[in-house]
Amino acid sequence: MSGLQILLTMIILPAIAALLILIIPKKAFAVKSTILLLIVLVNLIAAISLWGKELTFLMPWGGFGIDFALRVYHFSSFIVAAAAGFAFLVGLYAVAFLRGKPFAGKFFFYYLVTLAMVNGAVLANNLVVMLFFWEGLLVTLFGMVMVSGREKFPTAVKALTLSGFADLLLMVGIGITAWQAGTFAMDSITPIPVNGISVLGFVCFALGAMGKAGSMPFHSWIPDAAIDAPLPFMAFLPAALEKLLGIYLLARICLNFYDLQPGSGVSIFLMTIGSITIVLAVAMALIQKNYKRLLSYHAISQVGYMVLGIGTGLPVGIVGGLFHMINHAMYKSCLFLTGGAVEKQTGTADLKKLGGLGKYMPITTICFLIAAASISGVPPFNGFFSKELVFDAAIESGMIFYIAAVVGAFLTAASFLKLGHAAFFGKSRDEETTKNTKEAPLAMLIPMIVIAAGCVLFGVYNALPLHTFIQPILGHALEGEDFAGWPHTATLVIISVIVLVLSIANHAYGVKKTGNGLGSVDHIHYAPVLSNIYNGAEKHYFDPFDLLMWVVKGFAWLAFGIDRAIDWIYNVFCVFIVSSISRGLKEMNDGSQSRYIVWSFTGLAVILFVFIALV
Amino acid sequence: MPTSLQFATATIMGLPFLAILILNLVNRKTGNQLALGVGIIVAVIQMISAIICAGLLWANQKDFIDFSIFWNMTDSAFAGRLSIDFFSIVVLFCIGMVSFISFLTAKQTVGDKKLNFTNLLMVIMLGMNGIAVVTDLFSLYVFLEITGIASFVLIALFKDPEGLEGAFKYLIMSAIASAFLLISMACIFMNVGSLVYSDVAAAMLNWQAADQPLFLMAAFIFFIAGICIKAGVAPFHGWLPDAYQSAPAPVSVLLGGIVTKVAGVYAIIRITSDVFSGVATINMILMILGTISIVFGAVATLSQKDFKRILAYSSISQIGYIVLGISTGSPIGFLGAVLHFFNHATFKTTLFVNSASLEKQVGTRDINEMGGLEGKMPLTNVSTILAFLSTSGIPPLAGFWSKLLIIIAVWQAGAHFVAGTAVFASVFTLAYFLFVMRHVFYGPLKEGLEDVKETKGSLALATVLLSIVTVGFGVLFPFVLRFLQAQGML
Repeated sequence: MSGLQILLTMIILPAIAALLILIIPKKAFAVKSTILLLIVLVNLIAAISLWGKELTFLMPWGGFGIDFALRVYHFSSFIVAAAAGFAFLVGLYAVAFLRGKPFAGKFFFYYLVTLAMVNGAVLANNLVVMLFFWEGLLVTLFGMVMVSGREKFPTAVKALTLSGFADLLLMVGIGITAWQAGTFAMDSITPIPVNGISVLGFVCFALGAMGKAGSMPFHSWIPDAAIDAPLPFMAFLPAALEKLLGIYLLARICLNFYDLQPGSGVSIFLMTIGSITIVLAVAMALIQKNYKRLLSYHAISQVGYMVLGIGTGLPVGIVGGLFHMINHAMYKSCLFLTGGAVEKQTGTADLKKLGGLGKYMPITTICFLIAAASISGVPPFNGFFSKELVFDAAIESGMIFYIAAVVGAFLTAASFLKLGHAAFFGKSRDEETTKNTKEAPLAMLIPMIVIAAGCVLFGVYNALPLHTFIQPILGHALEGEDFAGWPHTATLVIISVIVLVLSIANHAYGVKKTGNGLGSVDHIHYAPVLSNIYNGAEKHYFDPFDLLMWVVKGFAWLAFGIDRAIDWIYNVFCVFIVSSISRGLKEMNDGSQSRYIVWSFTGLAVILFVFIALV
Repeated sequence: MPTSLQFATATIMGLPFLAILILNLVNRKTGNQLALGVGIIVAVIQMISAIICAGLLWANQKDFIDFSIFWNMTDSAFAGRLSIDFFSIVVLFCIGMVSFISFLTAKQTVGDKKLNFTNLLMVIMLGMNGIAVVTDLFSLYVFLEITGIASFVLIALFKDPEGLEGAFKYLIMSAIASAFLLISMACIFMNVGSLVYSDVAAAMLNWQAADQPLFLMAAFIFFIAGICIKAGVAPFHGWLPDAYQSAPAPVSVLLGGIVTKVAGVYAIIRITSDVFSGVATINMILMILGTISIVFGAVATLSQKDFKRILAYSSISQIGYIVLGISTGSPIGFLGAVLHFFNHATFKTTLFVNSASLEKQVGTRDINEMGGLEGKMPLTNVSTILAFLSTSGIPPLAGFWSKLLIIIAVWQAGAHFVAGTAVFASVFTLAYFLFVMRHVFYGPLKEGLEDVKETKGSLALATVLLSIVTVGFGVLFPFVLRFLQAQGML
């Protein structure tokens, strides 16, 4: 098979297989899952075979420069390969996790369509084609949240609305970008200087990309989806593929489409959003009492690091951001998978009922520990190295951003100490739930183990991903620098270690105060002032979706009022006037002969008058 | 060619007369049995004759054909020439068509008065055919009176109080109209010495230079007023709703469909284009009267409760459109008026036939007492919708095209406000259409109407035929327009 055929296959095959799954009867779960696994495996092989190739495919399509164009080069083939890897592992996990669930077939259908769309969006070499696949993801996102039941509808609508809003910004951004660049072809855009109208183009475009990655303020559907959507969805989309896709595009924007200068206004804008996302989301994660919901807030928070890193515009930051992207996709999907394993085996993800699972589920626990250490930035796991790179870039761009990043790191570590302690160690708080727990099935363990091993590998031997995948993306911009190996700035490493120690001390203090792991952060949660803010946040006072809905409701109310007023004019006022006149005319025509005769003579007079007036 | 011309013209002027003779020579019972059949034959032959005449015009590339029947007085100063042109042919065809429908309606509604009805209708046909072909004012007057008198009697056919009252009102107003017309003709004859259209037209072209311009002016004004009474143009319309409402079903089909059109509207168009075309102000006068009619008719319809009365007011509004088309003085306006004449004959006849069906099947004409008949009378329902949509000028039905031509012509004439008003009045047309539909056909079935059945036989045939014409003419209209363009008529 030639490279071009592989390209098209990766988009078309999953879509066709998805339709096939839809046709197959509900009971044939084995057939469906076989197809799913086969396709994700083929997709993985195809993605790997594309590695190192440079290909373009062009087919005239829409006119006006909108061609169906695909392109493989080291960046897109890296993302496609990573996505294929996660699709394979999560697919394997999903088959085990969803066994016996009535909606499994529909989920597989959406899963494969999502895969086709993601492949298309990453491989697209035309902004409109990319937008097409990007919007297709909106549909599958809605479908996957909805899939397990009608009652998930509000969450699905929330996800659709927020992502749709981000996509709207993306559309505006693409429009302005294409206008400024004079082309839709992504590889022929020369970096546009960011000034004037192109500031708007950059901001909209970047917000659209970040919205897909789950950055604030487009984040608030993720924690809801964590509760409502099937778990493989969380590991698949918000944790892995959406991050890859969103950060891929953000990096493309900052590297290829726009000329992002370090220290410029838009750079500060991106870094600010990144910092806010880091701190606020992790602060919310800290107080969560649900395994999956806690993870989902981290899925938001970690995006902040990537946005912060790329937003600096510095080579070290961009490398750090991209490295963090792939690392995050690994440890976060691993964490979600452990969450799914716990939920599947115990029947709940509520931390108040869990505890002491370490002795029942040792492999899951080990995978959790590795992933949690990665996300908390414990050396030598992968998260540590990428975070150090982001720290490096942040401190060079401004102390405030570095402080935000470090505060984020502290709270991340604290919340994972709490999570680990509450779920896997200590005493079970609800013996009924945990006493018969067994280790998860093999099909669920394999993905966890593979990903956890990846976390170790990417950390210990970080030259592999950095040299092979990430540093070639920047090419000459690196100016010969190499970020592989141990972090270059010793001071930052020392500070990071101090932060980790502080978080352990904080945990110990919290445990001592409340007597269990779950309450280890209660002293922060219920601190004066903070507790009020937390209360408000838990009541969705700060949820951008709810705020948006308030605005929408207000607007709807206003529009309704205007509509009623216009309606009144048409339906009451006009009708009154016309019917009054009509009734008057009717009463005049009462059959009185003399009146008719008078009318006739009046008419005669009118004719006479007009005649004389005009002659 | 001469034979076909003689056949066609002889049938137009002679056949109704012959039919009356035949029907009244046999005894009354036989006459009653034969009457409607003979009438239908006459009406069909009239339509065929109209088509033959059209063919003759087209084959000879002529604008008009002169002919004479029984007598030849072309030498005399007084009168005698008869003429058929494009417009006359349309009118003759409409007369045949509506009479045909009227006979079909009568079959189920006039009971044992078939002979009387047919006799009178034949007289009306004779009168209307005369109006369509004459070329002098006095003959026009004579045929108007023939038509009018037969109509009065027809309205009072059953001698019921309502019919008598309607007939009486029509009679009085027609008498006034006749007086106006006679005054006018006297004035003209005094000054011109002839009542032939072309002579009068020549004199009117320069009326201010005449010996007694005041008389010519009075002649003009009185003629317009008189003919407007006959046509029912607002504000001369007073008699029209009462007469339409009180007439028996087949008679209101006839009155609403054709009699007031020929006796009034056709006469207005004819004298506007052939007699008073030189008087500059006539267009302005007709435009004002037309606009008043359109708006008045449409608004007044909205608060009516009687189905036939709704149709009567709607007629006033539609007559306004025809008059408006004529008032532009342009070929498009004229064509629009002629076509609207034909379309109005079609859709208004459909509606009157349907009102007859409703009256026969439900037993009332009050729309408030009907409701939910959609399922009970599907044929009537659909044909009413089609006819009303055509009335409102919804494409692709026939009424759309003629209204479009009229409004284009008015716009081109520079009367933008009037054109806007004409379009806006169509909204009212649509409004009373919906009003009627909601009260009669839609909504829940009214109590006591459970046993209503669909109309059958001749009434159903009539409504189906007319609906086919409405839809077919509308769909094929672009071809008609292209044909007329090729003939140089546009």
